[in-house]
Amino acid sequence: MNAQFAISRRQFLRGTAGSLGTSILGLPPSFSLAAALNDGQVLAPKPGHHPARAKQLLFVFLTGGFSHLDTFDPKPKLQAGHGKPIPAFGLRADESKALPMLGSPFQFTARGKSGLLVSDLFPQLGDLADDLCVIRSMHTDIVEHFQATLAMHTGSSTIPLPSIGAWLSYGLGTLNPNLPPYVVLAEHLPYAGAQVWDSNFLPPDHQGVRLVPGDDPIPNLKPLARPVRLQELERIMLRDANEAHAAARPEDLKLRARMSTFATAAGMMQEAPEALDLSRESDATHQAYGIRAGDQKSFAWQCLIARRFLERGVRVVELIDTGSHDNWDAHGDMATHRPKAQRVDRALAALLRDLKQRGLLEQTAVAICTEFGRTPWTDGVNGKGRNHYAKAFTSLLAGAGVRGGMAYGETDDYGAAIIRDPVHVHDYHATLLHLLGLDHQRLTYRYAGRDFRLTDVAGRVLHPILT
Amino acid sequence: MRTTFQTFFLWLCTGVTIMAADATANGSSHWAFQRVMPQKPPAVQNVGWARTDVDRFILAKLEAAGTVPGPSADRRTLLRRATYDLIGLPPTPEELEAFVADPSAEAFNRAIERLLASPRYGERWGRHWMDVVRYADTAGDNADYPVPEARLYRDYIIDSFNADKPYDQFAREQLAGDILAKQGPADGYAERVTATGFLALSRRYATAPFEFNHLILEDAIETTGRAFLGMTFRCARCHDHKFDPVTREDYYALYGLFESTQFPYAGSEEFHSKKFPRSGFQPLVPPKQHEPLIKAHEIRLASLEAAIKQHENERTAEKPAIGSVTNAATRSIDDKLKTLNRELAELKKPGGPAGLPVAYAVAEGKPIDSRLQSRGEPNELGVPVRRRAPKFLSGEESLDIPDGASGRLQFSEWLTRPENPLTARVMANRIWQHHFGRGLVATPSNFGLRGDPPTHPELLDYLSSRFIESGWSVKAMHRLIMRSSTYQQGSVISGQSLVISGQSLVISGQSSVISGQGSGVGKERRVAALTTDLLTTDLLTTDYSRFPRRRLSAEEIRDAMLFIAGTLDLRRPGLHPFPKVSEWKWTQHNPFKELYDSNHRSVYLMIQRLQRQPYLSLFDAPDANVSTDVRTDSTVPLQALYLMNNVFVQDQASAFAGRVMNTASSDEDRVKFACATAWSREPNRKELARAHEFLSQCREELRRTEATAEHAEQKAWSSYARVLLTANEFFYLD
Repeated sequence: MNAQFAISRRQFLRGTAGSLGTSILGLPPSFSLAAALNDGQVLAPKPGHHPARAKQLLFVFLTGGFSHLDTFDPKPKLQAGHGKPIPAFGLRADESKALPMLGSPFQFTARGKSGLLVSDLFPQLGDLADDLCVIRSMHTDIVEHFQATLAMHTGSSTIPLPSIGAWLSYGLGTLNPNLPPYVVLAEHLPYAGAQVWDSNFLPPDHQGVRLVPGDDPIPNLKPLARPVRLQELERIMLRDANEAHAAARPEDLKLRARMSTFATAAGMMQEAPEALDLSRESDATHQAYGIRAGDQKSFAWQCLIARRFLERGVRVVELIDTGSHDNWDAHGDMATHRPKAQRVDRALAALLRDLKQRGLLEQTAVAICTEFGRTPWTDGVNGKGRNHYAKAFTSLLAGAGVRGGMAYGETDDYGAAIIRDPVHVHDYHATLLHLLGLDHQRLTYRYAGRDFRLTDVAGRVLHPILT
Repeated sequence: MRTTFQTFFLWLCTGVTIMAADATANGSSHWAFQRVMPQKPPAVQNVGWARTDVDRFILAKLEAAGTVPGPSADRRTLLRRATYDLIGLPPTPEELEAFVADPSAEAFNRAIERLLASPRYGERWGRHWMDVVRYADTAGDNADYPVPEARLYRDYIIDSFNADKPYDQFAREQLAGDILAKQGPADGYAERVTATGFLALSRRYATAPFEFNHLILEDAIETTGRAFLGMTFRCARCHDHKFDPVTREDYYALYGLFESTQFPYAGSEEFHSKKFPRSGFQPLVPPKQHEPLIKAHEIRLASLEAAIKQHENERTAEKPAIGSVTNAATRSIDDKLKTLNRELAELKKPGGPAGLPVAYAVAEGKPIDSRLQSRGEPNELGVPVRRRAPKFLSGEESLDIPDGASGRLQFSEWLTRPENPLTARVMANRIWQHHFGRGLVATPSNFGLRGDPPTHPELLDYLSSRFIESGWSVKAMHRLIMRSSTYQQGSVISGQSLVISGQSLVISGQSSVISGQGSGVGKERRVAALTTDLLTTDLLTTDYSRFPRRRLSAEEIRDAMLFIAGTLDLRRPGLHPFPKVSEWKWTQHNPFKELYDSNHRSVYLMIQRLQRQPYLSLFDAPDANVSTDVRTDSTVPLQALYLMNNVFVQDQASAFAGRVMNTASSDEDRVKFACATAWSREPNRKELARAHEFLSQCREELRRTEATAEHAEQKAWSSYARVLLTANEFFYLD
């Protein structure tokens, strides 16, 4: 079937669904066509392919390529060999360009009961070591920020394809019709811009909605300064006009679908400001995250907002810590990792603790990732920074269904090559889909004459890290 | 570990499990690769309804299925439809009145002619083509450098549609306009060179000039294939096409055409950091005029550079032995150097010699037969492939490419031969698509084996042969289609068609039994058909037994709001207000990102590749990174939020209210004018009463909040205007 018309059929059918119910059972009769087809509304909740470990995804993207060697993958030999050329362990001659090795300026300590090694960049996250699964054997295809960021989000490093959040929304629908299924908190645009949360060929309903921390996080959410009563009168007048128009065109359910978007928008106007309002959060909560009075945009603020959106049933919440400048891209000096880590460590740890306390971590898969790693040798500029590196890097998983306190995969003594259990970006994606009850090989969409997947023709679920 | 190109290869193959073996063999009998055959319109029973030959093709199929066409649209609906369809704007109340008052059979034909002659026509139909050619005002590299000259190509498209340029010529110019330009006449030179913006706009990647050049060329090939032939060639970069008879040799034969072509470089991160000037922009005056200018420019450049070198040498010689102490001699040299360098910078400004206008266009490069790339890896080269057209269309025939030429001209001539089975069909189908919301082939840029087959193959061939006979006249096709009874039908299901209400349509669980409460003969059959339709495709729109209702496009919504409000600026804007080239220093860390608002038509808004224009993308305008044949049609709450709360809508409603108040004085006359302007019809009695009630409710509320009665009145009418401009009746075209 042609994808284009598949979309319009769903939208067409959406009218019958009216506002969304979360279960097929108990829907009024007029909903049953949509219910029977199970996608009467594009965003209606759908069952996955297998029982899910997690209902929701928290996707944390640390921009710029944080160094595996300075965070979660300690390399004493790098320390020992600091300043000397790296032994050529299966590296092509041109790869290190004979640049000297760079020992990490950060201290690693065994954390938690598991004794997972975490550097002093992440003292607070380190406290949660027993909840974290550190994947030390990640690899990606292109060492450009733009392409690698796109890959981490869409599986494609070249041509823009749908984001993982859009795929999950497409595969599972939403849990709250008053909020978008995929919310991205990003103060600054990441590399590749809005392409990283785009729905691309998937129906636009699945597109990530970017919230820009600050005064006006959702575009057009705030009503214009007009009397409430006047707005109400307009709403009723519009409804009457649309009702009369639709009544003369009873076969066209799209018309009713469009009417219902005004109701959903009104729902968002009601519910989103409340979700964005932290005034009812306790002082203790504010303190735990590190949110100061009046703060409406810090990463800590975003983390608390993330929890509130997860609580309200947003399927995928993404946090992007920085944009395409002033990020983890430490070419000049690894010491610049310090402020970046300080910006996120406490808030992320508070978020995970908070989710755990509220029982939300049991139903939320957590990914903490970056686009690529950094070289074991210096960048060559002033000898204190590291360059981009795609052959090995680290990303984390946590939450529902993930074994905590474990390190998976292994790099060599210098963090230059993967020597055990390589995990490609596609594998990371396959595992996340698996946790949410979706089989990455079956989650497909027909577009331009063929079926597309998030994981291309690759991807492998990392069973050893699952509980 | 995978390389980029292996990933790419895998990407191309996703989900494909069958092997390529048979594609080539089966392809030869595929309907779309057969010559277009002139078709005789079939005999029909209801000869009274069949106004034109187009109708006979549609009616024959309806009659065979036991269905009858729907009643005609009323005249206001028809004029509104035709006006949006052709110029993307609503009719004015005066135009509506004149049309309703003229009952002659010729009235609609005259309306069509009036609309086709409007300069607004090209702005609407040009935009359809801009979707297909992935038009953007930026290059798409990691920093998304702007291309101020791209707009010349946009204007070329609009002008070509307005002039009803024969489509075969339009195609040739876009593929080989630079070569055609040199053949004369001189006054068409600029236009033809500009046309190759089609190729120049191929997407750029990464940070260096022409980085991933094989992907730039892939975009040129893919867009050429989709736009003109309705074929996708991309798959064949790495392997013979899995479904279509496109071989790797076909791909690299086309690759050679474009590898032999010089593309312009619009800037990228390294433009700034490594001082690569923009290059390859093409002069818009013939060589006789531009060559002396360029020569003089080059001589001036060389002499300046020599002078600088000389002064630098002198400076080195004069350099005092100790530190930074300077003397009179070095100071004088330094001053001179400063002046010279300033002159040089001035001279090196993009666009070549001052006063020489240029376009973002291509030129002939060094001819080369490209070599096969193993798995699409540009570093793993195989044997060279002679430049030619795809074999499955051209057989063993080769292109007669002269020495020193890229072959683009010969390819474009081959492409536009009337015998080519695809070129006319693909465009005829696009024209049909934009009148009916759906092509006879529902996959307008994929006529291959995986595309949808035509619902009315004979009609498609009839249209295609008429297209060629008319001299590839797009306007002739509009006349052919719009004069038909098929086009002039109403959009509401009625008469003998089943009336289904949303409430009564119930499918029960697994059994797929449908129970409708409609009446009329053949209920079961219609209901069964309906079930199938619901599960497979749009309801009742593929047989043309009614006109398919459609939502206005992003551009139509915005333009119509501005037009109705009386705020639309119909002039063609000049350059986008990009910063001066000398200030360009975007990087992937800090990419170009701007929004330039205006009251011009939406087709003239600045479109970026890496950032989507928020308004346009909200209402489904296409992604400018890839060729788009069919836009999505979304209905999402964020659109409703925009309509409720965005200041643009508020401003237009307020301006519209002002117009309404100035035009008439009584409430009734004002409501009538407002309805006629926004909805192209008169309000009925009930609607008049409801409007009165609404206005008095608003006034009552506003009397309490507004300082003056005038303010209250203005705001009450603004509220009414807002309702009209956000209602389904405004958004949908019957």
